[in-house]
Amino acid sequence: MSFVESEERRALRESVAALGAKYGHEYYVRKARAGEETTELWAGAGELGFLSVNLPERYGGGGGGIGDLAAVLEELAAAGSPLLMLVVSPAICGSIIARFGTEAQREYWLRRFADGSAKMAFAITEPDAGSNAHRLTTIGRRDGGGWVLNGRKVFISAVEEADAVMVVGRTADAATGRLRPSLFIVPTDAPGFSRTPIAMEIVSPERQSMLYFDDVRLPGDALVGDEDAGLLQLFTGLNPERIMAAAFATGIARYALDRAVAYAKDRQVWDVPIGAHQGLAHPLARIKIELEQARLMSQKAAWLYDAGDDAAAGEAANMAKYAAAEVAAAAVDQAVQTLGGNGLTTEYGLGTLVGAVRLSRIAPVSREMILNYVAQHSLGLPRSY
Amino acid sequence: MNIVVLVKQVPDTATERKLSAADSTLDRASADGVINELDEYAIEEGLRLKEAHGGEVTILTMGPDQASDSIRKALSMGADKAVHLVDDALHGSDAVQTSYALAQVLKKIGFDLAVLGSESTDARTGVLAAALAERLGVPQLSLASKVEIDGSTVRIQRITDYGYDRVEGSLPAVLSVVEKINEPRYPSFKGIMAAKKKPVEKLSLADAGIDPALVGLAGATTQVVDFADAPPREAGTVVKDEGDGGAKLAEFLAAKKFV
Repeated sequence: MSFVESEERRALRESVAALGAKYGHEYYVRKARAGEETTELWAGAGELGFLSVNLPERYGGGGGGIGDLAAVLEELAAAGSPLLMLVVSPAICGSIIARFGTEAQREYWLRRFADGSAKMAFAITEPDAGSNAHRLTTIGRRDGGGWVLNGRKVFISAVEEADAVMVVGRTADAATGRLRPSLFIVPTDAPGFSRTPIAMEIVSPERQSMLYFDDVRLPGDALVGDEDAGLLQLFTGLNPERIMAAAFATGIARYALDRAVAYAKDRQVWDVPIGAHQGLAHPLARIKIELEQARLMSQKAAWLYDAGDDAAAGEAANMAKYAAAEVAAAAVDQAVQTLGGNGLTTEYGLGTLVGAVRLSRIAPVSREMILNYVAQHSLGLPRSY
Repeated sequence: MNIVVLVKQVPDTATERKLSAADSTLDRASADGVINELDEYAIEEGLRLKEAHGGEVTILTMGPDQASDSIRKALSMGADKAVHLVDDALHGSDAVQTSYALAQVLKKIGFDLAVLGSESTDARTGVLAAALAERLGVPQLSLASKVEIDGSTVRIQRITDYGYDRVEGSLPAVLSVVEKINEPRYPSFKGIMAAKKKPVEKLSLADAGIDPALVGLAGATTQVVDFADAPPREAGTVVKDEGDGGAKLAEFLAAKKFV
């Protein structure tokens, strides 16, 4: 076992960080405020193969693992310009299609993910089910050789920039009894599919949407994997999602901590830099410790996932996501405190992250759902719902 | 075309750089080593010339063991292979000796075009391209902001204070580049993964046919007699506007030769 990343992983981080530095947080905020997409950064990362490091080489991917993709996202976030769609398109959808998709689905989608020419959103959360995947009411009915899909989804990210959405539903036969999630690929221009943006108080180029499926007719090959393969298919996508959410959060935490530390070294009141005062130094040191703990847990989760141990990866990914979200929120909060009034000015680029890190404690899985999971699965406590 | 790009590892300009108290040479342990910035432009130009004309790009580095990190990065950008001249006896070599050592290697491995950055961020002598061309008996095309190759003719735009000169020479040649020439690429994921498998040939003085008496600190033609830290920055001049602020500012700028 080694706690040092490979030479290649470190070289990947260095190269992604250099690309990220070219764009930075100002670019990210400018795009978000103008209601534009981060197209240039996405294309630049695509040309260098960064968007598909985890996908199989056979389909144009890099042949690496989710640990490599997490490194890409963490470095972009640490540069102040994360690409949220990395969590969804190559990590969730790419992992599921690579493992359970048909050869035709892999050829079509993975190649497009690899060259950056297509993106796929992912829709699981429903207004009446919340995070409780056991109560999903989006239903696919067989219709000849195809499917007819009906239902609603809420808080779905970046659908405006996606070519298709992978929708978690259930088949009509399985509408009662134990959940057998089925995964459908729905093109964003399919008749009967519509989208309403949700106005959010978060500075992000990627929007949140409500989705409606009103008798959406899909061909037979819209289904990914088996219609009753159970939760395994779903968790093939959700474990990478949590690992990537953790990378997003630790990257933001690094960005915030870097800015706070630079300011604390430079800003001088009376005769010493403010970082000489323990009232500011100790909270930053504590965040550094919690950040390294979260990063270590994330690397462990990615390692387990890439080693094929899904069950252990599930527990580690949940713990990593929890720890990362907590430290990201703490880091941005303490960075703002360190900078005082400057912490909320536009110039210093921290105030824009307050909403984003608050969100990271809620999505893609809430702090409470992770605590439920650990209480029930890791500690064997009675289930609460 | 056989393109050799000379790459020097230098201490990161973003960190505090020091000389060693023992022998007044660069203290390499006190800062991270990175590719000399202008050499990244040289690598990029070498790769572009290969993409346009075919051939092979070889990285040539003289430096201690840790310079292999910089070699690996150059290979991950897309160079085909590398030659690393590494020998303890090279420690403390000055520009004259370095040009001798590198010329010996270039003679041994052969080249059509040797490309390098016009100066390094550490020593900043800026003489290596000229010294190499002289020792190798080939034309030097220096300070290039644009390069074209047509058969065995190299044409460049050479930057000057007043604009640029058009200069041409014939291959084989030594070419030094400035940062205006291109935008260096970032290593791609595939480039990074491929770099590990690319050949790096390590040469000692004996392998390269270098006379040990002609390199190293003891025989250096220049000597660092003494060194001191740069003085701390002084407080700036405050111009108070009493109706003549504009004129005073102009005077200040004129005195500093900004206007």
